[in-house]
Amino acid sequence: MIGEVLRRFRFLVRQSLMKRTRQSDLDEELQFHLQNAIEANLAAGMPPDEARRQALIDFGGVERTLEQCHEARPGWWLGTVAQDVRYALRGFRRNPVFTVTVIATLALGIGATTAVFSVVDRILFRPLPYAHGERLVSVGLVHSLEKQEFALGSFFFDWQDNQKPFEAIATQGTMPHACDLVENNPAQLDCLSFDSEFLPLLGTPPVLGRNFTPEEDRPNGPRVVIISYGLWQGHYNLDPGVVGRLIDVDGSPARVVGVLPRDFQFPTLESADVIFPMALDRAAQTTANGGFGTPMRAFARLKPGVSIAQAKEEMEPLFAHTLDTVVPPVLRKDMHLGVRSLRDRETQDMQLTAWILLGSVLAVLLIACANVAGLMMARSEARERELAVRSALGASRMRLIRQALTESTLLSLAGAVVGLALAVGLLRVFLHLAPTGIPFLERAGLDSRIALFTMLLSLVCGALFGWLPALQTPRVVALAARAAKSRKRTVLRRVLVAGQIAVSMVLLSGSALLLKSFQNIEEQRLGMQTGGVFTVQIPLPGFRYNTGQKQMDFYLRAETVLRRLPGIHAVAISDSLPPGGWQGDYRYSDLAVSGKPHPAPGTGGQVYTRRVTPDYFKALNIPVVRGRNFNEEDRHSGESLVIVSRLLADLMFPGEDPIGKRIQAARDPRWHTVVGVAENVKNGGLVEPDNPEMYFLRSNVADFWGERAPLMIVDSVLSPKATAPWVRSQIAQLDPTVPVKIETLNEQVSKLADRPRFETALLGFFALCGLLMAVIGLYGVIAFVAAQRTQEIGLRMALGATRLDILRLIAGEGVRLIVLGGVAGLAASLAAAQLLKSLLFGVGPHDPAAFVAVALLLALVALTATLVPARAAMKVEPVVALRYE
Amino acid sequence: MPPSTDLLQGTLDLLILQTLVPGPMHGWGVALRIQQVSKEVLQIGQGSLYPALHRLEYKGWIQSDWGNSENNRRAKFYSLTATGRKQLESELETWERLSAAIGLVLGQIPEAEA
Repeated sequence: MIGEVLRRFRFLVRQSLMKRTRQSDLDEELQFHLQNAIEANLAAGMPPDEARRQALIDFGGVERTLEQCHEARPGWWLGTVAQDVRYALRGFRRNPVFTVTVIATLALGIGATTAVFSVVDRILFRPLPYAHGERLVSVGLVHSLEKQEFALGSFFFDWQDNQKPFEAIATQGTMPHACDLVENNPAQLDCLSFDSEFLPLLGTPPVLGRNFTPEEDRPNGPRVVIISYGLWQGHYNLDPGVVGRLIDVDGSPARVVGVLPRDFQFPTLESADVIFPMALDRAAQTTANGGFGTPMRAFARLKPGVSIAQAKEEMEPLFAHTLDTVVPPVLRKDMHLGVRSLRDRETQDMQLTAWILLGSVLAVLLIACANVAGLMMARSEARERELAVRSALGASRMRLIRQALTESTLLSLAGAVVGLALAVGLLRVFLHLAPTGIPFLERAGLDSRIALFTMLLSLVCGALFGWLPALQTPRVVALAARAAKSRKRTVLRRVLVAGQIAVSMVLLSGSALLLKSFQNIEEQRLGMQTGGVFTVQIPLPGFRYNTGQKQMDFYLRAETVLRRLPGIHAVAISDSLPPGGWQGDYRYSDLAVSGKPHPAPGTGGQVYTRRVTPDYFKALNIPVVRGRNFNEEDRHSGESLVIVSRLLADLMFPGEDPIGKRIQAARDPRWHTVVGVAENVKNGGLVEPDNPEMYFLRSNVADFWGERAPLMIVDSVLSPKATAPWVRSQIAQLDPTVPVKIETLNEQVSKLADRPRFETALLGFFALCGLLMAVIGLYGVIAFVAAQRTQEIGLRMALGATRLDILRLIAGEGVRLIVLGGVAGLAASLAAAQLLKSLLFGVGPHDPAAFVAVALLLALVALTATLVPARAAMKVEPVVALRYE
Repeated sequence: MPPSTDLLQGTLDLLILQTLVPGPMHGWGVALRIQQVSKEVLQIGQGSLYPALHRLEYKGWIQSDWGNSENNRRAKFYSLTATGRKQLESELETWERLSAAIGLVLGQIPEAEA
């Protein structure tokens, strides 16, 4: 095999080196043959002239034989490819406007597709960065308050012992928590834990050092950690000696045993710098966390050939058994087993958007290809005579098709190169626009995989628009000087243009719907003021502020100093803020009202809770519509007071006065007295319906301060920019080591709208690109038809047609295409809009106003594109037209 | 392309290889020899002979050298290579099997027709 290749290669080299001699050798060889034939004829008794003549007749075409001998050699076609390429380049140089137009159109299509593909690739296609990533699943419980699977210690050990569908199962902590690296260069880090099975499950061994041993993954085992590549790089300068070193985390030493790979990705997509062993105490799981056991995230690898549905089915009995033993009956109905592929766990909520973006950008590419195909056809129409001549001179049909394909491939490769450059720019724009919620976006880049995709894409494109014109082989009639151009040829172009209009219609209607939805999101009332309000977040290092008392003292002092700053209107402390992000919650059915029957389990949905200081309502300007607000005295009274939102008041106390009523929350023996009703605030994110809400008084009792790091809400008459340095210096006086994060509420709300903004902007951009190209395509066809019919127009005018008749004749062509494309597009849009349904807010997928607006816009623009060449045709002078050609 | 062409082309290759068994020969000689041996039935035009010779040469079954012809003119002589010899053997075998098979089939058809 290799010998064969080498031999061919040698032959090729020798052949190209000796090209000249070979040619003359062949001539000489044939000459010898001819001479022998003549001599044979002479010997047979022919006269010399006749002998020569007869020999030549027998001999046949010398050129053809030369050609055939040539073609019998390997690699002869390489020479013709070079010929084709040279010829194509010459053609492009002669017609730079055509060339630039084609390349620009392709670059736009290919560039946009590449940029989008590089973003959605990791969400939809690229294999997960784990060994057997396609068999990894997230497994656990789901309930109405937590839709991402989680495991509980009580369940997990049952699963570990008795499960069948999985090859391996492992856990990590539920979420990273702040921790402190205390060294001469202290830093606040994110700490997480996973068990010793975790890295083997993912198939990613540490890049340096080793994984935890099972002995280390036990309660009271040695204190060891694995650190992230980022920490290794940023803090230890990639020093290999870091393994084995003792580092001080949260005030006590831990030994580094390993370093995670640079591109390591937690299955939860969270990031952590320092990882401890889970070190679960199996015996304690029956008592920990109210008997449920430690919460965690569990991941597993399916056995080969086991599907997710099968695995779930096999796990159900196990799940039901633990559920019955551990969980009180009231809660059971709300808990379900969840098994999802890891890809879904990571990207499920982005997959629809990703598909829509990919689909729309492919639509743009299709329009671009159709456009280029139209241009190529127009060009080949113009070159018909030339092609016919080449054909008559002996170019085979294959050869002509190859020539056309060479041209289209060259163009599409050029388009791909420019497109790649364009994609780099577009990707920057995407990153700038993009919401933080799109997984992997910061990793999107143009790597070799994307480049390969782009090249393949361009080749497919080239084949698409190259074949169409190439298939129209020159007809012999084209040689006749004044042959009538057939109208059949333009049928294909017309179909392409109508298709382009239809596809643009789909893109336009989709983006119109998203735009309307985005407007609805932006314009809705939040129920609170966001202007002039900013939040101050101070993540206190847990090992120094290790009691609720210490944390409370810090925040109360911070509150006092901030209040003294100029221009400050209110300073409040809460654990969370509407309208989105983390918010505490209860099930409605977990709340009991004194003197009322308990609501049925699983009814009433979710109730958000916040623990706030009295100034909360003042800072956010949320009116208290009944009863009273908390006041400063309440903070010291030790009484347990709540304010309910109007929604909760209506739900819990329909037709009654809620003031003075008492509420008890699940598993908490205390009774809370309602003192007021606050106006509703948008709290389910920007697009979800509002939830009822309950505000607990954050009184000055250490119990209320230890759980979740609170945030301070500051309403200032001065701009946050002016106030921020003062805030920082005040906090620094309290504790110079704590980081302070200041963010305006407007920024936070705007971030929530990032995703719809991103979707709208991108789809809108694609729609405009598509429209632009479709219109150019339409213009091209109409102008071409008008030019083709110049003679006919002249004749008609000579026979008495008015200029208006001519306008009608030519514009009629365009109108037919517009109507055809528009109607087809409308039907497709109505179907496609269904896909957008879940992304829309406050507008139906078949919103008539949006569709009418899009149809009008499309009609207007397309008509303009038709009227320009039609008007030009109308102004043709009959005399000139008749002499045309 | 009609399927019979393959057979014909293969046959021409076989004929050329067989002709070259006795020793090196130029293109004219090959054509003449085939014509003579087949008693004027097989006339090989140069249009198919030379492409075939070049193809066989590329395949490495024959090789060419310039030499002087019987009437002292420069001519290109083709000779069998070792690979060519082996190829000839296997092709002959195939041919015999094939022609025997065809013969069997054809041998019955005239009877049926007669």
